[in-house]
Amino acid sequence: MESPTSPSSQFSREAAIYVDGFITRLRRGQVVEAKRLAMETVNLVEHVISISRWNDVETLSELIRAVGRKLLIAQPRELLIANVICRLLRMVAEESESVKFVEDGWPAREPVREPPSVSSAKSCETPGMGLGQSGALLTRTFAEQVASQLEVESMTLQGFKNNIRNEIEEYIEELENVEANIAKSALEYIHSNEIILTCGRSRTVEQFLRTAAEKRKFHVIVTETAPTYEGHEQARALADVPNIEVVVIPDSAAFAIMSRVNKVILGTRAVMANGGLVAVSGTHMIAAAARHHSTQVVVCAGPYKYSPWFPSSDDCFNTLESPDAVLPYREGDLVAAVDVVSPRYDYVPPELVDIFVDSTGGHLPSYLYRLLRESCDEARDLSWGIHE
Amino acid sequence: MAGAFDIVEHYNSLIKEDASISAPVAAVGSLVKLIEKQNATTMLEFMMIARQACDRLKKATDNSISLSAGCDVFLKQMSRLAHAQSVEECRKALIKAGTDFVQGAGRCRDIVAEFGSPFVRDEQTILIHSYSRVIMGLLGRAVTQNKRFRVYITESRPDQSGLRAAAELQRLGVPCEVILDAAVGYIMEKVDMVLVGAEGVVESGGLINKIGTYQLAIIAKAAKKPLYALAESFKFVRLYPLSQYDLPTHRSDLLSFKEKRADETDWQAELSRSNPMLDYTPPGFITLMFTDLGVMTPSGVSDELIKFYLD
Repeated sequence: MESPTSPSSQFSREAAIYVDGFITRLRRGQVVEAKRLAMETVNLVEHVISISRWNDVETLSELIRAVGRKLLIAQPRELLIANVICRLLRMVAEESESVKFVEDGWPAREPVREPPSVSSAKSCETPGMGLGQSGALLTRTFAEQVASQLEVESMTLQGFKNNIRNEIEEYIEELENVEANIAKSALEYIHSNEIILTCGRSRTVEQFLRTAAEKRKFHVIVTETAPTYEGHEQARALADVPNIEVVVIPDSAAFAIMSRVNKVILGTRAVMANGGLVAVSGTHMIAAAARHHSTQVVVCAGPYKYSPWFPSSDDCFNTLESPDAVLPYREGDLVAAVDVVSPRYDYVPPELVDIFVDSTGGHLPSYLYRLLRESCDEARDLSWGIHE
Repeated sequence: MAGAFDIVEHYNSLIKEDASISAPVAAVGSLVKLIEKQNATTMLEFMMIARQACDRLKKATDNSISLSAGCDVFLKQMSRLAHAQSVEECRKALIKAGTDFVQGAGRCRDIVAEFGSPFVRDEQTILIHSYSRVIMGLLGRAVTQNKRFRVYITESRPDQSGLRAAAELQRLGVPCEVILDAAVGYIMEKVDMVLVGAEGVVESGGLINKIGTYQLAIIAKAAKKPLYALAESFKFVRLYPLSQYDLPTHRSDLLSFKEKRADETDWQAELSRSNPMLDYTPPGFITLMFTDLGVMTPSGVSDELIKFYLD
């Protein structure tokens, strides 16, 4: 395996303590819920940024990448961390575009440093040829190029730091409201007297159903989702909503009941770049049953769940849970005699998903790579940590 | 015209010199040579010479699909540079860009291999079709990563290029078997994934490749096996075939029930004379594409093409 280009040596000791503290909690399984994990990762990065010393964009990006690498080494199958890191790196790149730093108190004469976006466009006069080479700079005439150079905003480092902080605050806010934003379009998907089927515990789906229930009455069937029985929790959460009638069924009844279901609404842990889901185990079975009955499958997922990676195998992002829930350890004799495997996630291929609903509306699975491109372009930088 | 310099001759010599060079790269290399030699004084003349050379190249070779991809990239670059101050400036920039392109092309295959390598895993059985340099690159890389896998290779008539692939893989120490083209359905059950190269990747996200790829893809889809296509981005071509017969290589005399005298017909000879060498695989049969721009869904390909040609 390639060694990381820069070890954690650039962290100050204080920052390293924070990162290690977070890693310990990750490993102990104390941060599991998707949104909390995303928010805590953002908070961690924000904290590291604020207590570390950096004077230019390169160092800042490298700092974020270093945090990402450390977290990925600790938890290589956790897609969400990588998603958040990618998004933050993108944020920094966008913020540093057309910005030149000037030192405090000096007239805007000598830029301290060329921002990478300008210096990376080294090929103004002899541009690269071939697909994937940005042509935007070439089609501009020379005069336009000069004009755009003049537009470059001069800014003090402090101002830039403030901007980054504001951007991160905005992102945190976006994360906080993600469920409510997704739920905005709930009425387009759920109609009166429909029978909805869902599985697992998803706060996004819960909010989605609650919002629809403000206006409409409908039934919700929840599969219990053994062996964690998260479905029970979901049912309990929905039980107090007056307009929703909740039914809990065993997982094995999913196929039998599917013929009566109008719509399947699913939450997910992460979404792969091809539109496949990494969702709680049992989801694949439900999606396959839905396909058999031509029932629509709607997936509610915030943009922070969109991962830049393609699934190289069905199990590459899966983890195993303690088998105790399937076969309790007190059955000592049996435990020694059989292998018990309890995977936490399912990979659901994109063909089984009809539509993704996020804060901006509905998307086809085949369109996801496009959405991804808007938030991630650092997939390659981080990918070494994920694949063996 | 350019006088003594013959672009077709130069192209052919490039192909002969270096067996690993791809047609589009050789095309760009020849075009660079051409504009180095000619001395047009106006921009219009300059561009006309380049266009004519492209047409000549396309006509002169039988494998015009991937070649035309190289020509298109070159012409697009030229029209981008048409804003340049003078012909001389444009020429210089174009020569620089073209030379960089040819030099960078070799790395493309390594990048494809890098993107594709997580998909090759231990204990897999892989089916490949015909001979493709980029597939060899990917499998070669997997071997150096100490992955253990087996490979079935189609014989790939009529030129039997599968045999060449088998020999090369054997040298790498990969267990391999060559199968008849007709045995693809038979073997598919044992296969974990299918890899194919591409002569050209078209705007729909489908691909044009050695004859037999389409039927292989249909069988893979029916058996629900993933089919991954490998292609360097300079093989993306601006075509939108709607059927097998929309390819530029299609000739009306292919498999066309010509009048034949029973006593004079040599069916064996007829076989390679009247059969096509390429077919078109629609995007619905392709799981993912590994390119040097990253792993893509077939619909991502059209995006890249539009981005390049319409910006």
